Amino acid sequence: MSYAYLFKYIIIGDTGVGKSCLLLQFTDKRFQPVHDLTIGVEFGARMITIDNKPIKLQIWDTAGQESFRSITRSYYRGAAGALLVYDITRRETFNHLASWLEDARQHANANMTIMLIGNKCDLAHRRAVSTEEGEQFAKEHGLIFMEASAKTAQNVEEAFIKTAATIYKKIQDGVFDVSNESYGIKVGYGGIPGPSGGRDGSTSQGGGCCG
Amino acid sequence: MSMEASELQDLSDDADYAASQQQGSASMMRCDSGKRSSPSEHDDAELIYLKDNVAIHPTQFASERISGRLKLTKQDSVLFLSWIPYKGQTSNAKLSEKDRSLYTITAVPFTEVRSIRRHTPALGWQYVIVVLTSGLAFPPLYFYNGGVREFLAIVKQHVFLARSAEDANVFLVNDFQSPLQRTLSSLELPSSLPVASGQYPSDGGTSNDNQGRASADVGNRVSSVNQYGLRKQKSHDPTRDLSIHLLEKFSLVTKFARDTTTQLFSENNGFGSIDKRWNNQPVHSYPEKLSNIAEEKHQESPHSYLDNDPFKDEEIANNVDVPDDPLEVNKLSLVWGKPRQPPMGRKEFTAFLDSEGRVVESKALRERVFYGGIEHQLRSEVWPFLLGYYAYDSTYAEREYLRSVKQMEYATLKQQWQSISPEQAKRFTKYRERKGLIDKDVVRTDRAFEYYEGDENLNVNIMRDILLTYSFYNFDLGYCQGMSDYLSPILYVMENESESFWCFVALMERLGPNFNRDQNGMHTQLFALSKLVELLDTPLHNYFKQNDCLNYFFCFRWILIQFKREFEYEKTMQLWEVLWTHYHSEHLHLYVCVAILKRCRSKIMGEQMDFDTLLKFINELSGHIDLESTVRDAEALCICAGENGAASIPPGTPPSLPLDDIMLYPLEDDVL
Repeated sequence: MSYAYLFKYIIIGDTGVGKSCLLLQFTDKRFQPVHDLTIGVEFGARMITIDNKPIKLQIWDTAGQESFRSITRSYYRGAAGALLVYDITRRETFNHLASWLEDARQHANANMTIMLIGNKCDLAHRRAVSTEEGEQFAKEHGLIFMEASAKTAQNVEEAFIKTAATIYKKIQDGVFDVSNESYGIKVGYGGIPGPSGGRDGSTSQGGGCCG
Repeated sequence: MSMEASELQDLSDDADYAASQQQGSASMMRCDSGKRSSPSEHDDAELIYLKDNVAIHPTQFASERISGRLKLTKQDSVLFLSWIPYKGQTSNAKLSEKDRSLYTITAVPFTEVRSIRRHTPALGWQYVIVVLTSGLAFPPLYFYNGGVREFLAIVKQHVFLARSAEDANVFLVNDFQSPLQRTLSSLELPSSLPVASGQYPSDGGTSNDNQGRASADVGNRVSSVNQYGLRKQKSHDPTRDLSIHLLEKFSLVTKFARDTTTQLFSENNGFGSIDKRWNNQPVHSYPEKLSNIAEEKHQESPHSYLDNDPFKDEEIANNVDVPDDPLEVNKLSLVWGKPRQPPMGRKEFTAFLDSEGRVVESKALRERVFYGGIEHQLRSEVWPFLLGYYAYDSTYAEREYLRSVKQMEYATLKQQWQSISPEQAKRFTKYRERKGLIDKDVVRTDRAFEYYEGDENLNVNIMRDILLTYSFYNFDLGYCQGMSDYLSPILYVMENESESFWCFVALMERLGPNFNRDQNGMHTQLFALSKLVELLDTPLHNYFKQNDCLNYFFCFRWILIQFKREFEYEKTMQLWEVLWTHYHSEHLHLYVCVAILKRCRSKIMGEQMDFDTLLKFINELSGHIDLESTVRDAEALCICAGENGAASIPPGTPPSLPLDDIMLYPLEDDVL
């Protein structure tokens, strides 16, 4: 399986906000309410297409509990994108966003693209955080924002792809030196124009991954 | 020949000795930035203690011994240990002057001593083994006139001695740092890690030079011979002959020590042929000798360890030069790891009990479980012993009574949170948070497993109640993700709420630190793991070091929940009961980590995995690890690592019981 680029994503946010479900919905297009809680980190991967270029997303789904923060921090290294997730039915998961953001700013590279996701928007009747509040927070902190539902799949595809599109645009604009893997981007096959050119060998990690 | 004890000056005419002295102090200067000088060079050292007739045994024959004088001296408030053989006095002509000077211990400061193990057998001579912070040890020092206790008492007056939690005969020297501090400071400064190969840097290019120096230095640091075992010699080096010679000497010493401490290995039975090989093998000469033996005696190829791709090496690029495994683990485990027996059944278990239900020989029971596990139906009776909830010497009646008392106690604890009214809960954030977390997690724990599957599953509710009760029983620790992974098999096995709770409590006595907020229990274990890999696979250690992987976070999940996510449910239970026996070590799980890593070493290094790739690779090993051969490898590694392995694991590292009590009440009684 060849790709033009590989982007490393990391999904972060409080425990139980639906990080693993978002990943599963994106990689497998299914919702599985019964799954084991995440210890450490789990991986997922999927190919998408942007600007007619095949792009592989390698997604790191992290454990959300506070005690594991010191471990989680080591996963930020070399991530091109982050999905910062809260649960619209639980106010406290929104209140904790600032501390997640601080972690991300401190441990990820400065050009990491961050998408804020208000998950579980299918549960509008139990909503505890308004859409406007989410938008406001995103605006204040320079994040992309979407409300989504891992259960109904609403906006899941869009959230992952829009993040990738933003990263892709940054590449086109020359924000990244793609030959430097610390930006979370690997260049694969596919004749990429630009200083580093195509490079092979990056698909050797078993291709399809967990998905 | 003079029978007098010779002082240091008297040895100055001995060319070998003088050379070793010179080299020794040169290298000590190098390690310690020249801050210290040996007290022997200045006569202002204060003599603290002197004991004559302290001997070592360079061979396995008790008749061959080198007697000498043991001294403690103090200079600039640093206590030094030295042992000088009597000039010319050896019991046997075969022992040369060279041997004598080889074993000389010249003024080792106690700052470099990690621990002292005492052996005071009822029959036979008392001796001590001094273990250095580098993990290496001097040969046993035999007190022919007795006086080990007195010696320890004197030492205790000058340095801080604390009894090891693991072994009442081990005294830790200057161990007042918390394991966490030690862990953190060492992790941040990898260059300061004591290396398995002694006090010499083992990095590439200059190693020959270092070896040369080390060999000359070996006169006053006998133990540094160990490093030769861990390194593959590529070219002929004249110092090598000497080092191998020393290696053999040293291993004979250890053999003698072993033979005189019969309790150590005499309890193995039923594995005769393997035991014989084992006993014929010098412990400390494992690397080269062992692989030869494995080749000679086991021509059959190691059985397939791997049942899936992750371990296969086929994709390794040919141009990457993977350093050889210094221990060749697949051969090693054939020799050292015993084959498993079928799980222990009821009949066999009953034979371990006396008429009133006491486990007569708990070690024999633990050994039996170690080598084969337990039939599932019997687990609910044996696990409480392994976990420490039941005392081995309790009777049927006492256990019956314990269960009823504990059931009432559990009910009281449970009542504490059950009596919280909705109004009270509103004002009790901590409780609400914990309950919320537990509610969310129990429905995400092993729900695909029959016992917990389906909506409104009662066992899921029981798991929630136990975890919530535990968070009140141990409010400081509370609840943390991963606990439900531990509780799930316990509840499945015990099938009783109160009994499961108390078994879980007993397990958390040891593994609670895994869930500390500051993660210190995890960091301590990851640090110990890095030390073990350094000892047992230096090339792999160096690879991790070069690739910024020394934090071992890629083993985080393995250790946090003891491989629960790596094996299927039944296999996890088998592994746990083996680990819980603490048969060879309380830390067998760390050797299990090393065993798995060693099996993948050529893939990891061959594919030049970076941290991210390695983490993903390790994650994906889940479900592809063969339990039996892994445990066998781990056992082999644990035995081979011996005291050096044990010394790599800081005292108090989970699942050892916490050191705190011992730190607070340091041994007023028993040393003296």
